[in-house]
Amino acid sequence: MEYVSPEGLRLDGRRPMEMRQLRAEIGAVAKADGSAVFEMGNTKVIAAVYGPREVQNRSQQMNDQALVRCEYSMANFSTGDRRRKPKGDRRSTEISLVIRQSMEACILTHLMPRSQIDIFVQVLQADGGTRSACINAATLALADAGIPMRDLVTSCSAGYLNTTPLLDLNYVEDSAGGPDVTVGILSKLDNVTLLQMDAKLPMDTFENVMQLAIEGCKAVANYIREVLQENTKQLEYRRGV
Amino acid sequence: MLQSKSFVRKTKGGKVLKVVREHYLRDDIYCGASFCKACDSSTARLSSTAATILIVDTNVVLNQIDLLENPAIDDVVVLSVVLEEVKNKNLGVYNRVRALCSNSMRKFFVFSNEYHKDTYVKAMAGESPNDRNDRGNGGSAIRVAAQWYQNHLGQGTHVLLITNDKENKRKATEEGIFAETVESYVKSLGLPGLLDLLVHPSSEDVGMEDVEDLRPLKRKVIYTEHKPMSEITSGLHRGIYHQGKLRVNRYNPFEAYVGSESIGDEIIVYGRANMNRAFDGDIVAVELLPQDQRHEKSLSIADEEDEEEEDVHLAPSSADAAPRVTNLVQGSAGDINPLSSRPSGRVVGIIKRNWHSYCGSLEPMPMPAGNGGVAHALFVSKDRRIPKIRIQTRQLGNLLDKRIIVAVDSWDCLSRYPSGHYVRTIGEIGDRDTESEVVLIENDIDARPFSSQVLACLPPLPWSVSSPDLANPIRQDLRHLCVFSVDPPDIADVTNFVHPGTPLDDEAAQRGTSVYLVERRIDMLPKPLTEDICSLRADVERLAFSVIWEMTPEAEIISTRYTKSVIKSCAALSYVEAQARMDDSRLMDQVTTDLRNMNALAKMMRLRRIARGALTLASAEVKFQIDTETHDPLDIGMYQIREANQMVEELMLAANVSVAEKILKHFPLCSLLRRHPSPTKEILEPLLRTAAAVGIDLDVTSSKALADSLDRAVGDDPYFNKLIRILVTRCMTQAVYFCSGDLSPPEFFHYGLAAALYTHFTSPIRRYADVIVHRLLAASLGIYKLPDIFQDRAQLTSISDNLNYRHRNAQMASRASVELHTVIYFRKRPTDTEARIVKIRSNGFIVFVPKYGIEGPVYLMARGEKGGGEWLVDEQQQKVKKIDGSISYGVLQTVRIHMEVVEPQPNRPKLQLTLDQGHVA
Amino acid sequence: MRGIQLSLNQTQKPRLERALERLESLSSKSNPNASVTVADTIPVNYEDGVLKGHGTSELDGQVVATLCGVVERVNKLVYVRALRARYKPEVGDIIVGRVMEVAPKRWRLEINFSQDAVLMLSSMNLPDGVQRRRTAVDELNMRTIFEENDVICAEVRGFQHDGSLHLQARSQKYGKLERGQLLTISPYLVKRRKQHFHHLEQYGIDLVLGCNGFIWVGEHVEAKDDMVEDQANKSEQQNSKSTSSPNLEEQEQTYTPLEIRQNICRTANAVRVLSNLGFNITVEAIMETVNLSSTLNLDIHEMLGAEFCVLTAEREAERRSMLTKRKG
Repeated sequence: MEYVSPEGLRLDGRRPMEMRQLRAEIGAVAKADGSAVFEMGNTKVIAAVYGPREVQNRSQQMNDQALVRCEYSMANFSTGDRRRKPKGDRRSTEISLVIRQSMEACILTHLMPRSQIDIFVQVLQADGGTRSACINAATLALADAGIPMRDLVTSCSAGYLNTTPLLDLNYVEDSAGGPDVTVGILSKLDNVTLLQMDAKLPMDTFENVMQLAIEGCKAVANYIREVLQENTKQLEYRRGV
Repeated sequence: MLQSKSFVRKTKGGKVLKVVREHYLRDDIYCGASFCKACDSSTARLSSTAATILIVDTNVVLNQIDLLENPAIDDVVVLSVVLEEVKNKNLGVYNRVRALCSNSMRKFFVFSNEYHKDTYVKAMAGESPNDRNDRGNGGSAIRVAAQWYQNHLGQGTHVLLITNDKENKRKATEEGIFAETVESYVKSLGLPGLLDLLVHPSSEDVGMEDVEDLRPLKRKVIYTEHKPMSEITSGLHRGIYHQGKLRVNRYNPFEAYVGSESIGDEIIVYGRANMNRAFDGDIVAVELLPQDQRHEKSLSIADEEDEEEEDVHLAPSSADAAPRVTNLVQGSAGDINPLSSRPSGRVVGIIKRNWHSYCGSLEPMPMPAGNGGVAHALFVSKDRRIPKIRIQTRQLGNLLDKRIIVAVDSWDCLSRYPSGHYVRTIGEIGDRDTESEVVLIENDIDARPFSSQVLACLPPLPWSVSSPDLANPIRQDLRHLCVFSVDPPDIADVTNFVHPGTPLDDEAAQRGTSVYLVERRIDMLPKPLTEDICSLRADVERLAFSVIWEMTPEAEIISTRYTKSVIKSCAALSYVEAQARMDDSRLMDQVTTDLRNMNALAKMMRLRRIARGALTLASAEVKFQIDTETHDPLDIGMYQIREANQMVEELMLAANVSVAEKILKHFPLCSLLRRHPSPTKEILEPLLRTAAAVGIDLDVTSSKALADSLDRAVGDDPYFNKLIRILVTRCMTQAVYFCSGDLSPPEFFHYGLAAALYTHFTSPIRRYADVIVHRLLAASLGIYKLPDIFQDRAQLTSISDNLNYRHRNAQMASRASVELHTVIYFRKRPTDTEARIVKIRSNGFIVFVPKYGIEGPVYLMARGEKGGGEWLVDEQQQKVKKIDGSISYGVLQTVRIHMEVVEPQPNRPKLQLTLDQGHVA
Repeated sequence: MRGIQLSLNQTQKPRLERALERLESLSSKSNPNASVTVADTIPVNYEDGVLKGHGTSELDGQVVATLCGVVERVNKLVYVRALRARYKPEVGDIIVGRVMEVAPKRWRLEINFSQDAVLMLSSMNLPDGVQRRRTAVDELNMRTIFEENDVICAEVRGFQHDGSLHLQARSQKYGKLERGQLLTISPYLVKRRKQHFHHLEQYGIDLVLGCNGFIWVGEHVEAKDDMVEDQANKSEQQNSKSTSSPNLEEQEQTYTPLEIRQNICRTANAVRVLSNLGFNITVEAIMETVNLSSTLNLDIHEMLGAEFCVLTAEREAERRSMLTKRKG
């Protein structure tokens, strides 16, 4: 199957190094402390953050840092076939863990001891790259909740098809069976917080693909920054003095 | 980098599934005209002076690809929507268009109209992609793109839409786009030769009546109508029809086989009527014939066979090259047909055509009145499996004595022969260069010079071993050792120069092997590598990949080591030189003693191998002596095998086996190995009958048993044993490459060598398989990482399939080349010689001429009269007797024959064998 | 970007946008480029020495924001004032909270902080108003003072050494809030002021603007000096509940007049509209909004409609431009 035409265009008209259209909206859930909707093309994810708040289960309370919890789910209507998926399947558990670990890497948990932060992410539409979108949405929601963070974690995936590294795979490209590298970085600190791939790839190719994914993360970070900056400005000017 | 100008969602309604895809429209897709100021012209392909730019529609590409490939047609814009449709309809044509578009000599530009913001045509609601394509075929998208080009390039450029679709043309004209049909455009170019390339749509069949008139045939339905696809699908489903690839018997084009998975056996299809217009390689649906019809059918086709004539050809070297067992003769002889249990069938429909273009010549015919007019001619393919093809031409006089290429366009059930069109001329019939090219084309061998991209991958010349090479820890310095080479290989480190993924590697993978013709060699790798950098010449430092054994004096291997190395060969010997050194007892220098020691070891290894059951086979290989000036053959002789050859062979086998073991251990799923399947009973059957006729009992239960019984088969004359071996050899199927992940270990067995594992490692310069094995070996040593493709088993399998295909073709080409040169040789030299009868036929026998390695029929009676006349044929006993009993011939008997080149038809020379009746040995 | 979650029609949309643009143009003059996002570097003059405050950290010798908000500088101190965030308590803050748990000698209150706040029994004035040691009986009777889900007003006393936040309610003005609505808004919209208790006499309601973003709108209660009486009433009420035969007098007392209830709702909706728009919540702003709705003769529920939202925004823009003009 030809995923990149000799003219250098992918099936959806992007070039190999291009990302899908990004869109973000802060404050999608009124009751939450922070919330956001993040879209990467047709992948759409909603995230809500509650906390820092009193720890629900006292035994989990930590005296030196906050407890971060994360729950990932996929809406039944998020894919073309409406299958009722059991909650807490292995994939969801794994992605929940991945998001939690990425977020823990950036939240300054020691500033909020004896508290708990809950992150809920739900995939509203799935078109590949859901875990990246989830992380980006969670980052926005955390920032919206005013939770202190080292840096913004952003994520993007890249794959390798037709011997071409491709940025931000959509569902069709993702299901091609090629390698899919999901990277999460702290853009300012230049740290990698997440790196996942469930395929084999030679080292030098892998480096190229990963580098591409990192470039993608940086682009996402720039976009998220813009959105946050604009949001802060709006909040400030609306409030008035 | 503009991300997306705007985007539109494309909804595709499948079964119940709703698929939503994004579709980004861009403003950075350029028009490809180098004179265009608005666009980035770095990727431009259209010429700077182009006054006319052609935009072609799907059907034009599909049908007129031969025309497009002609250099007279240029400055063509191919729209991505057209490419997509072409891809769905015919992958072969798609690849050809793609090749055109990427050919830097041609000015074809692909315009991604689907992704351009101004030329995207939105799908109508509820429209499936197929509907859209049908509509696109009419061409709203194409017209929009044409309009855009015209507006974009302005009035200085003439944008011309080429379409044969009336409706499309009408709409285009209404919309103010210039549109023309292919024919009118080609006419306007004023090049009459181009018109021959046009495919004439079968709907306007007016011209075809003429050709029918030329032949004494009534215009009637000759073939049964093909069943519609829906019926075929349901038929396949219910098991009434069987699907498979049609394989036409190379030696009898009226017989074909369809390997059907649903039956698990081959279905035989007899005769053109039953083949029902199917070509070799087509995927067809077959209906089984009832038992009683089979016999009858096989008789009824016999009369069709009158044009069938057996040629003198090179003695086959394996079962693949040998004629298939045909039961026609037995059928007509009225005997119990041993193969009648084989199902026979009739083609009811063709699922996928395998049409491409064919090499051949026109059937001689009288010139029609007026040379300039259109003439209809019949084309006879060189490949006998292909039926004659009708073509139209305006240059009949030119083409009659030429080898030409013709492509097939259609075959309706009213015509006896398919119709096609002329593609190009190769050269004069009988001319050696022309015929050599025919051989290459027929066998799909790419003999073009290497492209500049490929040559750019070569290291700069003059090349020598550099200090980084020496310093490389993976490379062992063996320069202090006395290393010498005998004929082809020590094993040069080719993979040091051919890196995976480079154009050089792609080209080599595609070519698969070097091809050896009588007068020339087509290299797999460019000359500097083949003849210099990777040639282990004497007294030069070269990089090699070495297998180092430590052996006991009894030739038992104690340890094996593999390493990349640097060597300095102290002598590069040919077989003859090596043999001479060993034989010359006066020589006591290091090289010679080494040679003798090695020979002693090799002999022991050989004995052991034979004891294991390896077959000592014999081939009828011949060698030409070629005139260095004219390249004409001067002499033919049998290839002589010396001890030195056997020694090198033995060591190479050992190296290959060692390497096979090593790579399989490290990469059990992705190693490239070579296996040789055991011959089947069915294949050996005729051989056993022949042997029995001369009183020899061959035991074929195992390779060991066969080897032993071959040793016992000694006749009264010295050549007898070798003859038997040659006959056995040709029963063997070819050894094949395979990917170790595709088969289970017992299937890895190499029958001929009696080796559990085998691969090719020793000739990376001329076989791509060895290149792959080198990479595997290097990876197993941890020297280099394994290239990507080894991760992908499907790709590895396709590589090994390609290698098998290329190898087979290379062999066929070599044989064809030898046959060609044999004819050239005997053209001036009618010869009397000795021959052996290998098979008795109803009207004569087939003889094998050991001296020239050829095989051919000797007719005792004129065609048509069977078993009549003065000769009595006893096929059961494999004997031919004169009625009066004065002379009789038996199989394997020696006869004297006369060989002569005759020309029964002008420009069609062939070698004829006749019995020299005076001299019965 | 944060959208206002209302369905606006074609004319309302540009009006709202225009109003918001006006607000933006008014503010950008006063506070340019002070907003930062997470990981932005905050430019500081190192020569003067820098004290890093909330929402900042150091990275490679630079001051970096850890929050999205506005950079504030007070002498050497540089900090980021977060906008949307949970409540950051400061000693003396007046807050409104809800009892989550009655624990030994203390109540735990949800006050929109990262943990529940603690109100010790000993930090409460007892109902009898007598200063004395708390006895075991007092402890057993804690639920008669506050029970779960009661809304309470209190003052931030400070952090204990174990990190928990303690409250106190040692005044008559603190205590249980009844017969009204609790609204939760983002704390950054409530500015700390001298006065957080407001008695809106013309409507007969009390308004408590908790610094933690909990806002109480309820029927006015006269702060009774005579706590005994109050307590007596209470116990009476409880008795009557248990006997389930309320007398008329008591019904009169528990009954909130319709007009007052409407006033409560109108005021509460005014808070909702303002917080939806992200405007500062002050008594003045609330009152103006309430007045606006009254002068327009709007029903209470219509205040939550799109039109009123747009009107409020337009009026706010008008008001602020007047302010700037006056200043200028």
